[in-house]
Formats: sequence, C-alpha cells, structure tokens
Amino acid sequence: MESLISDVDLATEQKFNRLKDEWRKDTLATSSVTKMSMHPAYQRIIGMGPAVIPLLLRELQTDPDHWFWALGVITEENPISEEDAGDIIKMSKAWLSWGKRNGLI
Amino acid sequence: MTRLITRLFPNLNDRFSVTSSQTKIYNCVAWAAGETHRWWWPVGDPRYYWPHEVARDETVECFVRAFETIGYSMCEDREVESGFEKVAIYADHYQFPTHMARQLLSGTWTSKLGALEDIEHHFLDGLNGSQYGNVVQIMKRVTSLNP
Repeated sequence: MESLISDVDLATEQKFNRLKDEWRKDTLATSSVTKMSMHPAYQRIIGMGPAVIPLLLRELQTDPDHWFWALGVITEENPISEEDAGDIIKMSKAWLSWGKRNGLI
Repeated sequence: MTRLITRLFPNLNDRFSVTSSQTKIYNCVAWAAGETHRWWWPVGDPRYYWPHEVARDETVECFVRAFETIGYSMCEDREVESGFEKVAIYADHYQFPTHMARQLLSGTWTSKLGALEDIEHHFLDGLNGSQYGNVVQIMKRVTSLNP
C-alpha cells in the first residue's frame, strides 16, 4: 500500500481529501446508501476514476466507510458476498482482499 | 456532537439525550430492528442487508414489508401501548424513506442518526425537518421485553 499510495500525485490526493471531507460532513446523519452515494462530492470522487482506487482502499483500511458504491462503479467489480451484505467491516475486508489479489496492495 | 445534532434537527429543542458513541457499523433501520452489527438498506449493488423475501425498492411499502418479516404490522397511533413495541418510518416529500425510530418501554423513542450517535428523544416530531422529512407510518408488534 505504501508504494501504491506514493503513486498518487499530491493534487489528486488533496482533491480527494477535500471531496471526502465535504461528503462526510454532509452525510453524517444519513442512513440512505443511495443519498450518500448520489451526493455531488461522492460522485465527483467517482469521476476521478481509477486514480482514486488506492485512496479508497486506504480509507477502508484506516476508517471503513461507505466507499463500496464508488469502488464498484470505478472497477466494475463486486467482491462482496451475499452473507456479508451490510457488514461494513467484512465488506471493507472483501475489497481489501480484492486489492491484494489485483496487486494494488 | 450534541451541537451538531441540535443544528441538524432544530425541532428536537434539546429534548433528547445521546445514548451511544458514533459508529458507521449500523444505521437507523438496523437499530429499529434491534441490530447493531450491520447496515440495512434496500440497494442491490453494492449489496447491503435487506430481508431476502422483500423487494429492494426504496419505498415506504418495502420498508413496511421488511418489518413485517420481523413481526411488525401497521398501526395508526404512536402512543405507548402495554405489551407492544413500536417503530416509526420517516419519509421525505418525495416519499422516499429516510429514517426509522424505535419506541422504548417508557414511551420515548430511540434513533440512530446515520453515522452519528443513538439518541433518545421524547417526540417523533423532533426529527421532522429537512434531514428526515416526517413520520409516515407507525408499526407495532407484540413485545418480548419485560416492563
């Protein structure tokens, strides 16, 4: 992960962090996964494309949150099993395992 | 976070108390169902928890059906009723479900505010407003709890 994160340029990381903070601030009291994922800042993170995958995976490692929609759209993958649906920790681990399998971690 | 809660829900008017730490592990629907280990929401991809026999549609009807699977049925009033536990479904002006609360034995209500804390609040209308809309449905089931 260390070498992968170092591949992300500073401007990208700063933009991601700014959008992440904006999204978190605005969706703290939201239960709806749809509303969280449709938030403009979250959509702009998706729009940053594959460059943010290492940053999203880092977030899942350090502070698991609802990044699964973004990862699924950007990668077109879904490593989450049915029995783990809704378990944020297990869903995060599934994506981190996906990251390892794909040489991203 | 009390100040943030007051700002987000001005109708609470300080008639609430915080009863947990912040966590992203479970949401209001899970809490209303008595769970604290997963996030309930009827989205299919990514898959969050939803009772498998209920359609994954973000409608009040589907939320009603979800809670029917755990023994609830629709009712008309929000008053505390001996021998029953109640939950409330909130929806926005487009009638999309936004929040659920669960009634405590005392008649007050408990709500998990998204990724924020659980709170205990005296009135359901305290959470009315731009975040959650209004209460649109009450449901009840025979309680297994002792008073």
